[in-house]
Amino acid sequence: MIDYSIKVHDVSKTYKSGDIRVNALERISFMLKKGEFAAIVGPSGSGKSTLMNILGTIDKPSSGEVYVDGIATAKMNGDELAVFRNKKLGFIFQAFNLINGLDAEQNVELPLMVTPMPNSERRKKSDALLVQLGLGNRLKLKPSQLSGGEQQRVAVARALINNPALILADEPTGDLDSKTGEEVIKLLKKICKDDKVTIVMVTHNLDTTKYCDRIIHLKDGRIEKEELVK
Amino acid sequence: MNLKDIFWLSYKDLREKKIRTALTVIMVVIGVASIIALTSQTQGISQSIQTSLESLGPTSIILTSSSSTGFTVADTARLSTLPNVSSVIPILTGSVNVYANSQNVSATLIGISSEGLQSLLGVINLYQGSIFQDTIAPSAVIGYSIAFPTALAGKQNIIVGQPATIKLSGKGGETLTLPIIGILQRYGTSVIPIDTGVIVSMQAAEVLLHKDSFNIILVKANNVSSVNELSLLITTVYGSSARVLTTQQLLETTSSIIGSITILFVIIAGISLVVAAIGIMNIMLIAVYERTHEIGILKALGFKNRHILTVFLFQALLIGIIGGIIGILVGAGASYSLSAIISGAQASTNSNTRNSGSGVFVAGSARSGSFSGGGATFAAGASPATSSGAGLSSLSYSPVFTPITILEAILVAVIVSVVAGVYPAIRASKMEPIEALREL
Repeated sequence: MIDYSIKVHDVSKTYKSGDIRVNALERISFMLKKGEFAAIVGPSGSGKSTLMNILGTIDKPSSGEVYVDGIATAKMNGDELAVFRNKKLGFIFQAFNLINGLDAEQNVELPLMVTPMPNSERRKKSDALLVQLGLGNRLKLKPSQLSGGEQQRVAVARALINNPALILADEPTGDLDSKTGEEVIKLLKKICKDDKVTIVMVTHNLDTTKYCDRIIHLKDGRIEKEELVK
Repeated sequence: MNLKDIFWLSYKDLREKKIRTALTVIMVVIGVASIIALTSQTQGISQSIQTSLESLGPTSIILTSSSSTGFTVADTARLSTLPNVSSVIPILTGSVNVYANSQNVSATLIGISSEGLQSLLGVINLYQGSIFQDTIAPSAVIGYSIAFPTALAGKQNIIVGQPATIKLSGKGGETLTLPIIGILQRYGTSVIPIDTGVIVSMQAAEVLLHKDSFNIILVKANNVSSVNELSLLITTVYGSSARVLTTQQLLETTSSIIGSITILFVIIAGISLVVAAIGIMNIMLIAVYERTHEIGILKALGFKNRHILTVFLFQALLIGIIGGIIGILVGAGASYSLSAIISGAQASTNSNTRNSGSGVFVAGSARSGSFSGGGATFAAGASPATSSGAGLSSLSYSPVFTPITILEAILVAVIVSVVAGVYPAIRASKMEPIEALREL
């Protein structure tokens, strides 16, 4: 039996604006195996962001269901979703979205702040991750003191700190130069394989899809085609 | 979320926006400082008056003449025959100016027997020299503020053995030269303005002021329980020709005046705190708006509504605590300057109130509503425990800070800040992560 980590089942999202109904997503279904690295590509307005938001449980589908590690998320309330995101998901954003007033360590520890983990254990974990990502000499620096690539690596560490089942990466290389971008993608690939974490990445950059296992092409809210990369 | 995390998430925003934080904190500081400064004044004044009235003794009854003729020996004789009277002390006062070494100080000439002075002051504490004899020879003991005038900021102007020129107030303004034989220690607040007094024997005062009567009589009852009965009896005897006041009445009158002033002060301080609350709410709403994106990130990472609420409420709490502590320090500083300013104003109104001759018991009548002031050095801790004098006519006090006032001020600051932070914090906590993340 195949161990599926993500199951997207018949998900639609409709926005109503007055009398006009806009179908952002129409009957999307796909499944990802544990440790699979998937890319979602498509022109703007194709529904990539909506799909990412629904996978990230910060938006709800109009119909359909999303299962992460077998847990159905569509009917959860705000607090349940918060706990779910905290335990199961990791986020990597295009603009890094680190918190400016906090140093690298504190930023990485943010998801653990709402768990009962003791401070010392938390610090050990975040430092180990940052060292592993080559930021051992950047622990106490603020985001404004770090380069773009370093900031994104801090964000990757933050996404990993809670041992998530699924990492959602929204244009992770969009704000980086191509060399740094490629390093980040290689890093994600390594995490995928080593830690058996499923990653869904939205990208415009087709170069980066060569590291992925699966590419899902979206167009007008539908899956246009789904291809496996060898 | 543990306290350290809450602190960091709240504090970092305050630290990043230093000027804005400073301005918000200043609003709280002003509110707290005004509570501290104003209540410590009323408490200081109240305590000072209470101490001096108590030192005058609970058995004291004070008669001031309301007629131009004043009291005579016949009055003292008559009062002595009343039941339960233990002693009768006549006092004659008049307004004068003292000239010495090119300093001019307004003062009160006080005629009293040496025995009466002893009874009035409790203990005669001399800084220098000796007390006068009960003879007609006009040798004077002067109050501390005459020897050390405020204008010289603590420097001695008159020494014992030196003659000083006094000029009588009013028309004519006769000038006399008196030998100074003694200087009293500071007595502070007093019914009779001892610190700004030129004290001579009764016989000498009668000659100097051209009077054979006196304007004040201090009657002491045998015991506390007979005071009210005795004061009623005296009131019946004198009718409208004398004002009769007991220490107890003075205490009640002054405490009711001070009570009203306190309410007024609390209202003033309250208004400044309301202004502070509106300011905090305003600033917090701006902060919430600015941190919208950050709130979105935190929510995406698994922060619940109540976590966000806690962070913002804690931020308001921090503003309250910082503002409260600084406010207490600023308030304490302001308090001492304020009491100095008040006494300075008192000193300058001295001569006006003095000219009325019998108007020594200013605070005794609720109508006059002001204390005529004497000694004016009120720097922090400058007045040692010498306020064993008696009464009201010269106002000398240090602001009083009670732990309860300080605690209340901090508590009020914290409550006001947190209450002001509730609405912004709720708004922050209820943000939808998807919308919050969209904001940049």
